[in-house]
Amino acid sequence: MDSRNSIDHHHHNDSISGVSSRWSLSSKDPPSEKSLSAIWDRSMLSMSQKEIKDEDARLVYINDAERTNERFDFTGNSIKTAKYSVFTFLPRNLFEQFHRVAYVYFLVIAVLNQLPQLAVFGRGASIMPLAFVLLVSAIKDAYEDFRRHRSDRVENNRLALVFEEGRFREKQWKYIRVGEVVKVVSNQTLPCDMVLLATSDPTGVVYVQTTNLDGESNLKTRYAKQETLQKAADLETFNGFIKCEKPNRNIYGGCELKNTEWALGVVVYAGGETKAMLNNSGAPSKRSRLETRMNLEIILLSLFLIALCTTAAATAAVWLRRHRDDLDTILFYRRKDYSERPGGKNHNYYGWGWEIFFTFFMAVIVYQIMIPISLYISMELVRIGQAYFMTRDDQMYDESSNSSFQCRALNINEDLGQIKYLFSDKTGTLTDNKMEFQSACIGGVDYSDWKSADSEHGGYSIEVDGNILKPKMRVRVDPELLELTKDGYATKEAKRANEFFLSLAACNTIVPIVTNTSDPNVKLVDYQGESPDEQALVYAAAAYGFLLIERTSGHIVINVRGEMQRYNVLGLHEFDSDRKRMSVILGCPDTVMDESYGDVIEETKKQLHAYSSDGLRTLVVGMRKLNDSEFEQWHSSFEAASTALIGRAGLLRKVAGNIETNLRIVGATAIEDKLQRGVPEAIESLRIAGIKVWVLTGDKQETAISIGFSSRLLTRNMRQIVINSNSLDSCRRSLEEANASIESNDESVALIIDGTSLIYVLDSDLEDVLFQVACKCSAILCCRVAPFQKAGIVALVKNRTSDMTLAIGDGANDVSMIQMADVGVGISGQEGRQAVMASDFAMGQFRFLVPLLLVHGHWNYQRMGYMILYNFYRNAVFVLILFWYVLFTCYTLTTAITEWSSVLYSVIYTSVPTIIIGILDKDLGRRTLLNHPQLYGVGQRGEGYSTTLFWYMMFDTIWQSAAIFFIPLFAYWGSTIDTSSLGDLWTIAAVVVVNLHLAMDIIRWNWITHAAIWGSIVAACICVIVIDVIPTLPGYWAIFEVTSTWMFWFCLLAIVVTSLLPRFAIKYLGEYYRPSDVRIAREAEKLGTFIEPQGTEIEMNQIGDPPRR
Amino acid sequence: MPSNTASSSSAAAAGSADSSSSRTKSKRPKYSKFTQQELPACKPILTPGWVILTFLVISVIFIPLGVVSLFASQDVVEIVDRYDNVCIPPPDRANKVAFIQGGADKSCTRTLVVPKRMKQPIYVYYQLENFYQNHRRYVKSRSDSQLRSVKDENQIDACKPEDDVNGRPIVPCGLIAWSLFNDTYALSKNNQTLNVNKRGIAWKSDREHKFGKNVFPKNFQTGNLTGGGRLDANKSLSEQEDLIVWMRTAALPTFRKLYGKIESDLEKGDTITVILKNNYNTYSFDGKKKLVLSTTSWLGGKNDFLGIAYLTVGGICFFLALVFTIMYLVKPRRLGDPTYLSWNRVPGGGR
Repeated sequence: MDSRNSIDHHHHNDSISGVSSRWSLSSKDPPSEKSLSAIWDRSMLSMSQKEIKDEDARLVYINDAERTNERFDFTGNSIKTAKYSVFTFLPRNLFEQFHRVAYVYFLVIAVLNQLPQLAVFGRGASIMPLAFVLLVSAIKDAYEDFRRHRSDRVENNRLALVFEEGRFREKQWKYIRVGEVVKVVSNQTLPCDMVLLATSDPTGVVYVQTTNLDGESNLKTRYAKQETLQKAADLETFNGFIKCEKPNRNIYGGCELKNTEWALGVVVYAGGETKAMLNNSGAPSKRSRLETRMNLEIILLSLFLIALCTTAAATAAVWLRRHRDDLDTILFYRRKDYSERPGGKNHNYYGWGWEIFFTFFMAVIVYQIMIPISLYISMELVRIGQAYFMTRDDQMYDESSNSSFQCRALNINEDLGQIKYLFSDKTGTLTDNKMEFQSACIGGVDYSDWKSADSEHGGYSIEVDGNILKPKMRVRVDPELLELTKDGYATKEAKRANEFFLSLAACNTIVPIVTNTSDPNVKLVDYQGESPDEQALVYAAAAYGFLLIERTSGHIVINVRGEMQRYNVLGLHEFDSDRKRMSVILGCPDTVMDESYGDVIEETKKQLHAYSSDGLRTLVVGMRKLNDSEFEQWHSSFEAASTALIGRAGLLRKVAGNIETNLRIVGATAIEDKLQRGVPEAIESLRIAGIKVWVLTGDKQETAISIGFSSRLLTRNMRQIVINSNSLDSCRRSLEEANASIESNDESVALIIDGTSLIYVLDSDLEDVLFQVACKCSAILCCRVAPFQKAGIVALVKNRTSDMTLAIGDGANDVSMIQMADVGVGISGQEGRQAVMASDFAMGQFRFLVPLLLVHGHWNYQRMGYMILYNFYRNAVFVLILFWYVLFTCYTLTTAITEWSSVLYSVIYTSVPTIIIGILDKDLGRRTLLNHPQLYGVGQRGEGYSTTLFWYMMFDTIWQSAAIFFIPLFAYWGSTIDTSSLGDLWTIAAVVVVNLHLAMDIIRWNWITHAAIWGSIVAACICVIVIDVIPTLPGYWAIFEVTSTWMFWFCLLAIVVTSLLPRFAIKYLGEYYRPSDVRIAREAEKLGTFIEPQGTEIEMNQIGDPPRR
Repeated sequence: MPSNTASSSSAAAAGSADSSSSRTKSKRPKYSKFTQQELPACKPILTPGWVILTFLVISVIFIPLGVVSLFASQDVVEIVDRYDNVCIPPPDRANKVAFIQGGADKSCTRTLVVPKRMKQPIYVYYQLENFYQNHRRYVKSRSDSQLRSVKDENQIDACKPEDDVNGRPIVPCGLIAWSLFNDTYALSKNNQTLNVNKRGIAWKSDREHKFGKNVFPKNFQTGNLTGGGRLDANKSLSEQEDLIVWMRTAALPTFRKLYGKIESDLEKGDTITVILKNNYNTYSFDGKKKLVLSTTSWLGGKNDFLGIAYLTVGGICFFLALVFTIMYLVKPRRLGDPTYLSWNRVPGGGR
């Protein structure tokens, strides 16, 4: 008690304040946008401000829900994330589904078929495919919605304390209304967005955890308004109103109250208007490169379809024209209906022109599956399957954060196999973002003798009121420095060291939390804060005896080697990424400050350079003493700035800039941001895979380069081109020089460019030059990059190349980059969930990128590419069989194959194997792909799907359909064969050929594959049989009649062999005499000729490289 | 006191362990060969050996099958006589349609000579060419439910324009039935009547299940235009085998339909006289009519196509096997040799 009094006393007597400031030379990027951080001060109290226009504002009468709601009727607090109710499900779901072009196509075809003139299929058969996909999607949607309903119900029925009729009563969340006052106690979740009125803390501080919102587990502080703090004591009489913005995304709710006994707040936004709900936007929808690429072939197929239909219509027209006089007497045509009157009227004949028109559209209906609409559904199912396996991959499970891989976007799995450019954030992505205090430089002297450090020194603890307080994390200490600090203020050096650690302990936004341990006498001090750098610094200070015990908005308590010291916090300028520094203004004893040190700038600079060359993050610590007038001046402008409504951040920055001058250097800190496990190997692999790695970091150049070396992004034999320009002209000059200097392609060059130069490059014509240079470099390092530049760099590359880009990052500052890139990957690490929320894929560690791209990406791409081609082929074969028959039916659209078989063909007969193959087949094993990253080039070069392959496939299609059609045609020509029997033969032959074709291309046969292929053939036969046992169909019993003849089986065998023969021979010739890398690797995998493990493989390349030059 | 603290601390420890385990429930995916995509699998590779062997096996199977098929086709003895043109008296040949629609006598006599011994059963077919029984208008113009059951006799929607006569449904309705083939053949061998058995020419399944036993022809061919044959109104549809055969619409524009069976052998050199009634109008669309007497083999009728196809495919496979063997011997490639990989092959490394 005494010591506290004395410090208070000091404060009252002294008006002298000290500024303790640190500004960073290599700061980390700001952890998150600060704009997100305030409901409590963002929603303004009407008593003081009048900024929001009345029509834009919402008026909330505190503690008077009736009045608040009478005029506007604000949303209640019941939330509804579910889309449908039982009654709205059908219409709404159908409405949503028909947003997709594919379904509209189905619908149009089905509707066309309902016109009597065009009725090709029966009613049932024509609606069946549409009904099928609608049903499948509807079941999926219904299940998802059911789950949402369930979670909504749980959420809505939670209880909160609401002030009603003079006391707090429990009320279900869904009944909470805007304007009501809610009491939240510790560890409770806020039911909605509220304005804080009062808290258990006399200063009005409240600590909240926003894990539910953005995943950040550290505590954030919010303050109650002074005005309400006093009034809220008597709630009965409390009234007032709040005028605030209409709901937008900048206001909080749904977070959890921590470390505060209770808090009172008035509800301002409820239910669907809360930030949690507004932010709850779905995963971004992107379209994969392969799918976009595929559209070209879809157009070709459409043209092909139109050509087929035109041919059918034209030939039909020619026939009608030639027989126009005989149409009445031709027995199989008989145009006239004589039953009414002797002259007869035309039956179902509308003249020559109309007949052509009808024939054309009937052809469209018959040949509809030429456009493989089912492909879109198959692709979706395949992607779900692929995503399942990616999330289940235990090599992409991160133990430390207990997170498995997440697939947030379901549309771009195959893009992972085509990545050419990788943009990576550094902090938290390449590194752990677990900062470790490494060395300190105090007064120009380096203290980094941590080799001799042992646990004895690291485990600092003190005894307070009989309790032992310990910092939660141990930090290695330099014994020399430790000794020095113990000297107190005896020597200059000691004094400086004390000031240094005092600054570290004071100048931050860390909230210390004292937690209990199993031993009731030992308490742990846990430092919670938004920045891991700050945590590292505070833990370091604690290890040297400067234990931060308490922080409120008004004061801090630091235990200095057992002595409690209380300092009043007079002002705090938070860290921002523009100033790259923060400062705190403390009221402290007069005697502490001493201006009489010598200048240590040079020595400190030298040390800083040395630290950053070692890849350490450096901060400089400085102090300044304010005299009365300086303080008053600052104080008034600070007050004005912090209550300003418009441009507050800018004003505060200006105030900070004014005070953060003339600082006296105390020392510098070096923090190690440790590389994540496996990062160097991962970068090496990705580089060998032909992926250009760009690292974008806010660090200073030396730090970035040293990280570049340690992560093997840079190697010793790389030539480094550094671009550090301060003007447009010099930037242009150095870029053009660089461009000219790297002519030979095999030289390995690294480009290092800083954020200042990038300012001139981005959005100017220099972008092209930079792109050219970057194309020739094997590694690019962008240092001191501001967050907003990251997206610009990605865009620079993305707009100039058709190659795929991938951005990976972990923090809010990477969001723009992640969204800009073709594929965005979020690291679910220390820095909250914004990056993950914006990403397409999320994982725990950078090194998972290797299995993700090289293994899953490669597989997904190969599978999807093959699946698309196969689907084109499969449907085209069937359509062509139907088309050939038209040439022998007098050009009318008769189908020998029953309508049910044509409908079931792409739904049952042939769909399952493609989906199974698309999910399960692997061209190469995981080990091979990881050991030989070069195999990734298959996707980058687009070898899995190309127009050449498409045409190859199409010629094969024509041959196979011809074989299937004409062999039975000639064999049965002039025989008694009937339409249904021949149709059954064609159906079964097509199904067998198409499935065997797939079987021929399957690489790995496991039991699932076997079941799918043979099961499909059996299923097709069963369906054909079922169709043929219906006596009211013309084809009754045909399958039994026809299969009882040898002719059927001879035809089938001849068809299967003849149609697959060319493909088989060409496949063999190609694979044997012009083998692709994949093929060779597959052989090697099977025969075991890859004997060298990964290490030697890489070394071989490295040794192999230099002599060639 | 000590025991008390011990128990409480252990309880606390247990509690904390419990809560921490529930809080940090591991999300590690459960390992299984399935989820790791490591299911045991067979990975066949097209090696020269396998490919050559496959081609050899195909040729070894196909060539004998081709030979067998050819023999089967050669074994079939077939007499084909086209009569559509010759059975029109020369003066009427200018306007065949008028003749066939007219009331003149349509009888016509044809003489056939048996070229080789024909063993019974000898099938008598009529063959139509350029007759599109698979024309879209035509194949749809039938009512299968009406054929099957009396109570469905009004299901005639699909049968237009041959659905009813003055509002009374036609049974069997539709163009197919209406255009029933009605040429008749009376065969005699060496001036002795040759019995043509017309029973059992249709599929048993059709007779028994598809065409009703108590469905009788009604209003058939009573409209303003007669298409083809008439039916005996006293015989149920299931007994009208000519109709049943006709209603199994042919898949191709050149087709045969079974007319009857001769259940006695014919010797080489036998002359067969056919007195036929040339009633059926194929003249308006240049349709050909042929009378066919043919034996069958196990493989069907006389058609060399399959035999030739099998021999060709077998031959090609043999040839390919040979070529691939030579290619393999001349220019073998070591399978799975990493030096062939593009990044090991291209000097200068990488692309």
